[in-house]
Amino acid sequence: MSQNGAPVDIGASRPAEVVRVEGLTKVFPNGVRALSGVDLEVRQGEFLVIIGLSGSGKSTLLRCLNRLIDPSAGRIWIFGDEITAVEGAGLRAMRAEVAMIFQQFNLVKRHSVINNVLSGALGHTPLWSSLLLRFSGEEKAQAQAYLDRVGLGDRGDSRADALSGGQQQRVAIARALMQKPRLVLADEPVASLDPALRHSVMRHIEALNREEGMTVLCTLHDIDLIERYATRVVALRDGELVYEGEPKSFDAVTFHQIYGEDAVMAGSAVD
Amino acid sequence: MEISAELQRQQRSPWRHRMRQVQAFLIDLLLLTLFLLMVEFLVVAFSGRRGPTGLLVTPEEILDLLHYGWAAAGGALLALLWGFGSDWLGTSPGRALVLGVPEREGHRPWTHTLRGWFIALMVQLTVFTGWLITEVQLVTFLTQFSKATDIVRGLVHPSSTVLHQGLVLLVQTIFLAFMATAFAIPVAFCLSFLAARNLTRDTFLLRSAYTLVRAGMNFTRAVEPLVWALIFISWVGIGPFAGVLALWVHSVAALVKLYSEQIENIDHGPVDAITATGASHLQVLRFGVVPQVIPPFLSFTIYRWDINVRMSTIIGFVGGGGIGYILKPRVDLGQWGEVGTLVLLIAATVWCMDILSAKIRERIV
Repeated sequence: MSQNGAPVDIGASRPAEVVRVEGLTKVFPNGVRALSGVDLEVRQGEFLVIIGLSGSGKSTLLRCLNRLIDPSAGRIWIFGDEITAVEGAGLRAMRAEVAMIFQQFNLVKRHSVINNVLSGALGHTPLWSSLLLRFSGEEKAQAQAYLDRVGLGDRGDSRADALSGGQQQRVAIARALMQKPRLVLADEPVASLDPALRHSVMRHIEALNREEGMTVLCTLHDIDLIERYATRVVALRDGELVYEGEPKSFDAVTFHQIYGEDAVMAGSAVD
Repeated sequence: MEISAELQRQQRSPWRHRMRQVQAFLIDLLLLTLFLLMVEFLVVAFSGRRGPTGLLVTPEEILDLLHYGWAAAGGALLALLWGFGSDWLGTSPGRALVLGVPEREGHRPWTHTLRGWFIALMVQLTVFTGWLITEVQLVTFLTQFSKATDIVRGLVHPSSTVLHQGLVLLVQTIFLAFMATAFAIPVAFCLSFLAARNLTRDTFLLRSAYTLVRAGMNFTRAVEPLVWALIFISWVGIGPFAGVLALWVHSVAALVKLYSEQIENIDHGPVDAITATGASHLQVLRFGVVPQVIPPFLSFTIYRWDINVRMSTIIGFVGGGGIGYILKPRVDLGQWGEVGTLVLLIAATVWCMDILSAKIRERIV
């Protein structure tokens, strides 16, 4: 599986390694050091929540994993293959297996909802027909099924920007499903949504993890969401990994270690 | 592979940094040389010096007299001094433009920096010098209107003799402008992606294409449509097709500029999202970029058609077809009534185009 020198998994009882990161460092051209020497390992089926203040490097970490951002140093393996420096077709093949969900949904606003879902299949569709926005009947049926699943089956023909924020994020989840990924990166998926809608979106992401067996890496802020959905929590502070543990053991003390003394735990029973 | 492309770029950067310092110096050199030249210009202009004819020197004669070499040498010296003395003098304009203002100076109001005073002075000098060079004569402008009454009277008393021919050529003008715009759209559309900075950073090939397209379009745009018309009249002969080609070339250049600016302003979110699905570059353009730029592209294209209708009048003057073709001889012969008819026809068309294009743009943006 790993030709590129990734450590070979010996403990056969443990689930397969999905993400492995060693010494990941990102220094932006303007000198900002977003990540310094992050080591991380994620195994099949985990719902890993990454927390930390804005600017702590959470988003950069996720974007390095699908190479929307090129790391400055360090190595990354996805499903056992090193992807730190792959380019071209290899890079696209890796991206096709890794879906991403964004804070701002990032739908193509002027396209229909169904087209947005279909765009998830771009990694697999023939180039020319996709440029003409032509997808196969099978793909269309699949997209419709995923839309039904996120409860928007009747909105396929609406323009994406006619939908509310929560609905747009569900379309983005359907787009991720369309990609049939093995790994899902969710970058603050509920941060720009009304608190009342957060669970409705998070439950769909949870379904990707529980029902589809996709491994999920998700950045979150609210403590109640972390307790409810995470199987493991890691925290970043100033680009360094400062905490790793079970969501149960995540309490007020660790919270303040990560966020600083002035922070108030949002939506928390622990105070 | 321990070191990624990013770090390699940073290691290459000393060279780039030096290039930027040179750029900054050249801008300072240019500004300071201009400054010295304008000061000299004004000193000579107000010194009461007499030219070869014994009369006061004209602005054109002064431009001939200026010491360009000395000014450039002085400008270079001052630019060097400002560059090395920036600790005491503050950042020079060129450095501020190319390298940015350092943090410690960032919040000072312009009245507290030499750069601020220098730029303010430059603006004033430019206005004064411009006033003299273009020979602005306010008094004549305000008192000598009567000399132009003949023309104005003709314009408001249009003659009906050219109305029929005018209408026929007006139709030709509108189609001429339309064809030029239509031919320009596909070419400009394709080139504009290569002329957008945000899409051409990744590889050396793309960066070269960017520079090439930008330079080519700037040159094309800088050449007057009138000159293009003369070129194409020699090429395909007198008539509307030469006009179509002239406006086509100019429209391509103008549209590439407008289109590419729109591409540079897109929301990068959808581009990230489509890239993250494993889509290829063309698919990312098709899904992430094109839907965002279609409305502004349409709006600019209609605007361009509007401009082309106006420009085709001038193109007609030199034989490029359209209504300008019959306008020119009547201007030369002073048949102001007939000129008035044609001008009113053009004005009515431009007015209609303007209303139409405003309405359409309102709808699609």
